[in-house]
Amino acid sequence: MPDVCPYLEYRQLEAETESGDAADAQPRAYCNAAEEFVQAMRADICNGRYGLDHETDCEIYREAEGLPEGVESEGGGGD
Amino acid sequence: MAYDDYLDGEKVIVTAALTGGVHGKEANPNLPETPEEIGEAAAECEAAGAAVVHLHARRDSGERSFDRDRFQAITEAVRSRTNLVIQHSTGGTGATLEARRQSLRTDPAPEMASLDMGPLNRYRHLTSENTRGMVDSLYDEMVERGIKPELEVFNDGHLNEVAALLDRRDLADPVYTTLIFGGGTTSPPSPRNLLNATENLPEGALFNTLGFGRHQLPLTTMGILLGGHVRVGLEDNVYYGPDQLAESNAQLVARTAGLAETLGREPATPDEARDILGL
Ligand code: SF4
Repeated sequence: MPDVCPYLEYRQLEAETESGDAADAQPRAYCNAAEEFVQAMRADICNGRYGLDHETDCEIYREAEGLPEGVESEGGGGD
Repeated sequence: MAYDDYLDGEKVIVTAALTGGVHGKEANPNLPETPEEIGEAAAECEAAGAAVVHLHARRDSGERSFDRDRFQAITEAVRSRTNLVIQHSTGGTGATLEARRQSLRTDPAPEMASLDMGPLNRYRHLTSENTRGMVDSLYDEMVERGIKPELEVFNDGHLNEVAALLDRRDLADPVYTTLIFGGGTTSPPSPRNLLNATENLPEGALFNTLGFGRHQLPLTTMGILLGGHVRVGLEDNVYYGPDQLAESNAQLVARTAGLAETLGREPATPDEARDILGL
């Protein structure tokens, strides 16, 4: 099972801090590579849910680690 | 459905897509995520003219959830406050088929559920597969539970998939489709492409128009003029105007319901929507 991404952190959303109801709010997924909060769907990649994996599925991780952009396999197929 | 339906003043079903599975409060802090927030948002949307509510589930952190119990809590929050037709999402990029079935298993079952007609790309490396096998499996469970499918057509190729599904399965009339316009794998957003898609629908099929982002307002307006139904909400568009975040789902619903009235078509009530959709 893929690991949680090392760039993932949980922190309070600024909007909730501003509106004063941060005490009730749950911390949210924040990406230290992109320096922004993560969309709900991408957080599944960050957390390695459903077999998703930051090393293959997240372009932000790949860029931060200096890995090549694409992960496509080599070779053919004409469709 | 066609311009004649507009001329005849057929009622418009306004669907409110409150939450979605892609973005959350980081995109618009007014987007509802908890069952309580979703229930409140649904009630406001009903008051503003919505007849159907399209629902996704979230964890407390705002992240996606496919948990049956979470859908149960949401459906109860909406049912206790509204008479809206409840439509659960079965979409779920990366999620297993078993996870995606969970939203169909609430008690009672939702009256409707979305059924994505084929693959679509997400980010740089993800695809929502929606294989034909997966579509059939979800559809069969919907039939078993008495749930009407809303066939989500992300591009013109998915219209071929609608026709193929009609060959494979015996869908109850009326067939109900949602035509989707935006970026990526969705149909390029243009009036011509909406018109074209409506002309490629199966005989007798109804359509609902969904435009992402700034395409929500113009394309849903055009959908009203073409005799179709419309979907709006923060799932599809977090803005009310250029650089102006929407205050709520209800704000988007109210604008659309007002437009429909101005154009000569009244928004359908939830019970009228049930009649139109054959629920
Ligand atoms: S967005 Fe990508 S790099 Fe950032 S925490 Fe998530 S998986 Fe890691």
